Amino acid sequence: MPSIDLTTILTLLTVGFLWIGAVAVLWAGDGRRQMQNLLAAGFAVAAGLAALGLLPLATGQAVVRIAMGSFFGDFTFVPDGLGVFLAAVATVVGSLAVIFSIDYMHEEAQLGRYYALVLFFIGAMAGLVLAGNLLLLFLFWEMVAFCSYALISFHNDDPKAVAGGIKALVITQLGGLGLLAGVLTAYATLGNYQVEYFLANAHTVPPAALAVIAFGFLIAAAAKSAQVPFHTWLPDAMEAPTPVSALIHAATMVNAGVYLLARFYPAFADVPGWRTAVMTVGVLSALLAAGLALMATDLKRVLAYSTISQLGYMVYAVGVGAIFASQFHLLSHAVFKALLFLGAGAVIHLVGTRDMQQMGGLGRQMPFVRNVFVIGALALAGIPILNGFWSKELILEAGFAGGPFAAYVIMLAVAGLTALYTFRTVWLVFFGPPGADSPSRERNPAAGDAPPAMRVALGTLVLGTFVTWLLAGPFGNLLEIGIKGPAFGHVSSTLRVVEEVLAAPTTLIALIVVSLGLAVWYWRAKLPANATASGAAGFRAWFARDGGFEGLNHAIAGLIQGSSEALRTTQTGQLNWNIVGIAGGLAIVLAILALGA
Amino acid sequence: MSSILLVAGILVCAVQAIRATRLLVAALWLAGTSGLLAILLYMLGAHEVAVVELSVGAGLVTVLFVFAIGIAGEEAMDAHGLLPTPLATGLAILPLLLLGWLILPVNSTGYLAGFTAGTADFSNVLWQQRGLDVLVQIVLIFAGVVAVLGLLAEVPAGAREDKVSPAEGVRVPSNKDLLSGTTILFAPEIRNQQAEIPGDHIAEPEQAVEEAHR
Amino acid sequence: MNLAPLNVALVGVLGLLGIGMYGLLMTRNLIKTVIVLQILVKAAVLALVMAGSAAGQIHLGQSLALTVIVADTIVAVVGLALAIQVRRRCGTLDVQALATLRR
Repeated sequence: MPSIDLTTILTLLTVGFLWIGAVAVLWAGDGRRQMQNLLAAGFAVAAGLAALGLLPLATGQAVVRIAMGSFFGDFTFVPDGLGVFLAAVATVVGSLAVIFSIDYMHEEAQLGRYYALVLFFIGAMAGLVLAGNLLLLFLFWEMVAFCSYALISFHNDDPKAVAGGIKALVITQLGGLGLLAGVLTAYATLGNYQVEYFLANAHTVPPAALAVIAFGFLIAAAAKSAQVPFHTWLPDAMEAPTPVSALIHAATMVNAGVYLLARFYPAFADVPGWRTAVMTVGVLSALLAAGLALMATDLKRVLAYSTISQLGYMVYAVGVGAIFASQFHLLSHAVFKALLFLGAGAVIHLVGTRDMQQMGGLGRQMPFVRNVFVIGALALAGIPILNGFWSKELILEAGFAGGPFAAYVIMLAVAGLTALYTFRTVWLVFFGPPGADSPSRERNPAAGDAPPAMRVALGTLVLGTFVTWLLAGPFGNLLEIGIKGPAFGHVSSTLRVVEEVLAAPTTLIALIVVSLGLAVWYWRAKLPANATASGAAGFRAWFARDGGFEGLNHAIAGLIQGSSEALRTTQTGQLNWNIVGIAGGLAIVLAILALGA
Repeated sequence: MSSILLVAGILVCAVQAIRATRLLVAALWLAGTSGLLAILLYMLGAHEVAVVELSVGAGLVTVLFVFAIGIAGEEAMDAHGLLPTPLATGLAILPLLLLGWLILPVNSTGYLAGFTAGTADFSNVLWQQRGLDVLVQIVLIFAGVVAVLGLLAEVPAGAREDKVSPAEGVRVPSNKDLLSGTTILFAPEIRNQQAEIPGDHIAEPEQAVEEAHR
Repeated sequence: MNLAPLNVALVGVLGLLGIGMYGLLMTRNLIKTVIVLQILVKAAVLALVMAGSAAGQIHLGQSLALTVIVADTIVAVVGLALAIQVRRRCGTLDVQALATLRR
């Protein structure tokens, strides 16, 4: 271990501040709310600053090394470019969400539990991306899953929230199994848990084992990033308090999957079928979720589907080998999606419903929120010069150059769909006529715009939406630190990115498609309501059933439920009879062994 | 020879612990099992674990049992189990016969052929090779302490009225009581059952599944 | 090396397992259940040490056995705390009476 230098200290502080903060908030107790607010915000911001301070210090070396014995290898933290970047995203966006929570949660009980879990959540995510040991990575992976469950179910007297949390937990655990299988296979073949060692020696792993690892990791990533066919947990996770949704969507949870794919792309790129599978997952997710977003009437659900869709873009970019574009889009997405969620939170906080049909005309009442939300929406739709435009163009360009043409066409269409549903949402919420059954008439007219702490968080994010794309050059350099292999592309300066994007013919095509989406919405808005019903009835019906995936879920759940019902008679609830099952099972297993041996 | 005597003693103590009708007596027989086991472990060469087994298994755990039995009180135990005795005996013995047939006797040509003798000493193995185990143990102990603190928190007034004589059957404690005694940080399901508990059902599994659908 | 004590110890492991299994099948008292669990785990400890001794890696066996002892002690502590709490709230330790909670 090198002498304790600044990098080591900052790496430890990034995670440490958050976890110490979690304990401190619990310690303060629910009786002292101001104290809790202060502690949570203070520790979160401190961790964010530590992560930002780590950015220029990124190195491919392990800076923290905790000996775990020769059976497990060392637990290391490696603050390389990719890890530091994602840690910074998690902690900075996370700290903004915490600041936002001060106003948002001001009436909630059990603030201590909320803040402690949020801080633990962000800390686990930062640890996940900085971990340099596969086993440690898995531990953090599971911590993130646990925190997401506990936070989605934060309102634990609401059955829907509990169900949403359990759903998220079950589905991401399924992915966790894939990760565990991959990690253990890697250890079984290489005898080493270090990520660095694995990446360097992946070519020596037997192809079959490497395929197990690669697809195990893909399952884990798809489940965590809510990609098809595991995407159904994310919309249900909307029961969480809105800052938590912002965290899950922008800062922590879903980024972990994309991170996993990007991190291990160099090792898996040559596994037959893997890149195709990744691309397929990304394209399907992007398309399906965009369609779903177009049909949803729940404001937060629209945003959730748009997250799945945008993550589809990132996964697709990894599939075509454009890691830089993928991570750059992740950065843009983190900023504008956090902005959209927190903006939506402010709206919901004011209106008291999430149904967009009951909103409308809110623009006049809350001009600040309207302005920031529109900026976020424009970034999501990919309108120049906001950050979403640049990163999405990069992905489409890479897809055009390096992927199948059909996939490119679909992604292009999705860009149009994105514009369409974005404008629909903005219109319904802020500009359209108030809904017929709208509670807006009873809405408190005195209830004004966003309170100060919300404004701080939202304002910072708006600024980010405008400027993060300027960081493309330094960002490209950062990503290359500690990463070997050509997969990341060489992006040396922002100017070159700008030139490249502006010069590429795909940009023009994409812009045309996006404005087409806008035009469709504009045209649609002028038509009476029945036009939508007749025009796209089949389309609508298909998406209304979540493209059949929710049906699949139901079928599986129904099957399990039916067999459970049948087996229920065996559950006497009496200890001794349950032991009979254990002893009998042991006897059967041993009998099989004895016969086979 | 001495090992045969020791094993016989261990088994006798264990049988007595099962047969004893008073909890306190059973706990003392368990301590006896533990003590003899410690000697056997020592004879097998496991000196450090033998000490731990003696101090923790025979000492600490016994104290805990005596303490717990003192709080919970001796309950007149029904000697009759729920299962017919022949079935229980058969189920207990059948796996053993199979297991014994599979692994006995241990000789140097079977399972053991592939092993090479380790040279590291105990502290080296424990701290250097299996460092993670030590860490996990620490976490485990910490979690155990937290769990016990939560479980043994004072029962608030009002919760006690749930106690009923066994003749009336057991009444489900109201959910409020479950919560108020402890600070349950991460157990949302419990509060979720609030609506269902006053009836005859504790949350049925199918309800949970239905909720998961939505 | 002399393998006779190891075979004897292995018989002891099997015996403890059988006694523990029988106890779990027949016991109705919660605290008694915890006692029986202790007996079962003693079988595991003995088996680990025996296997380590037989393989010439006694210290690895010891290290694992130590983990088992720690885990088991935690199980006993939490189990007893649960039993005490059940006794306080439900007034009985009989698993059959407690099983009526299900209905």
